[in-house]
Amino acid sequence: MKREMKISVYEVVGSPLCVASEDGQKVHDRLAAVIGAGHRAILSFHNVSTLTSAFLNAAIGQLYGPFSEEQIRCLLKVEEMAPEDAALLKRVVETAKLYFKDPQRFEQVVRETLEDEQDGA
Amino acid sequence: MLRFPLPQVHHDYQSFAALARLYARTKDCFLERIEIDMSSATWFEADMCAALGAILYSLGQNLNTVELTNIAPRVWDILARNGFLSHYGRAKVPDRWGSTISYQRFDDRDDHFFARYIESQFIHRSEMPEMSSGLLKKFRESIFEIFSNAVWHSRTQLGIFSCGQLFPSKGLLNFTVADLGVGMRQNIQDFAGLDLAAEDAIVWATEENNTTRRGPIPGGLGLKLLREFIDLNGGCLQIVSDAGFWQTKDERVSTARLGHPFPGTVVYIGINTADLNSYSLTSELDPNEIF
Repeated sequence: MKREMKISVYEVVGSPLCVASEDGQKVHDRLAAVIGAGHRAILSFHNVSTLTSAFLNAAIGQLYGPFSEEQIRCLLKVEEMAPEDAALLKRVVETAKLYFKDPQRFEQVVRETLEDEQDGA
Repeated sequence: MLRFPLPQVHHDYQSFAALARLYARTKDCFLERIEIDMSSATWFEADMCAALGAILYSLGQNLNTVELTNIAPRVWDILARNGFLSHYGRAKVPDRWGSTISYQRFDDRDDHFFARYIESQFIHRSEMPEMSSGLLKKFRESIFEIFSNAVWHSRTQLGIFSCGQLFPSKGLLNFTVADLGVGMRQNIQDFAGLDLAAEDAIVWATEENNTTRRGPIPGGLGLKLLREFIDLNGGCLQIVSDAGFWQTKDERVSTARLGHPFPGTVVYIGINTADLNSYSLTSELDPNEIF
């Protein structure tokens, strides 16, 4: 059964300044685990004051490597995001879709993801 | 002791060319005492300490001892108040006007330290010029984009240098970030397989959807966002990387080639703090349309 899991960006990063790629990676790891298990993720930006494309690329953009657009559309929702931050996220998403359209990159990411899973098994 | 002159330093091609020339003349020095003679430097833009600091730090890596001499009183005041001279054996003097954004060096993994620095320098201080909350947010985001860009693309081992200056009466805020990394030309050659001239490499990097990223995390947006913001704000953005000089001002881009390469990348932004653009979107994006 699909569950709905809420993830607070502020809680994961521990700061309203969500600017570092490595902090985005922490958010990504939680999102990937929830979506990978077929559950719905609600990503809350409550109390977040500053975002960068580097953070959003790491947190959300890289989801477009292992997951399809349809999966992400169906299983990921953002809330409490300022309109201008949502516009930035939209651009990050569009850039990520283009980035992973390159088949070589796509294959590389799939291969690395499979290797990671095998290492973790 | 080896002596090298340094002329006036502004935000222009000639000043970057002079800094790159200083690096070219000193980069092979090892275990030397190097005097930077500033008798001709009757003006020094405070935030350009980031670029000069990067060069002098690289000289220190070669175990050279650097001394800044014949500093004009006006320049001394600027470089002492922002803490730059304290890195070269001089005392730090109080910033009585509250207009400096102090000179700092960061390691490439100092994202959180850098965030705290920006917070303390820009958020919790009364001397900041009146800026709309939207402009301040865009400005902070831009600075973080520059830092992230330096961290990701420079592959620097020697650090990232930053400095800024407020000019409340002119409605101007200057901020510069420099790194001692591989530079855009080399990065594009290594990861995108393109052999471009240094100035063309900056043009390439500032265009939408061009990225040197490989691996699972996409990129290629930071410098474009910065450029869009500066063009809207009416400010100035200059990038020097390797021997390339690139500038956008009044929405016009110009490029040039320096006589010598800079040992990394410098990004300067000059913000028009009197900008009345709202930077807030009037219509909300449907969250269902983001993905």
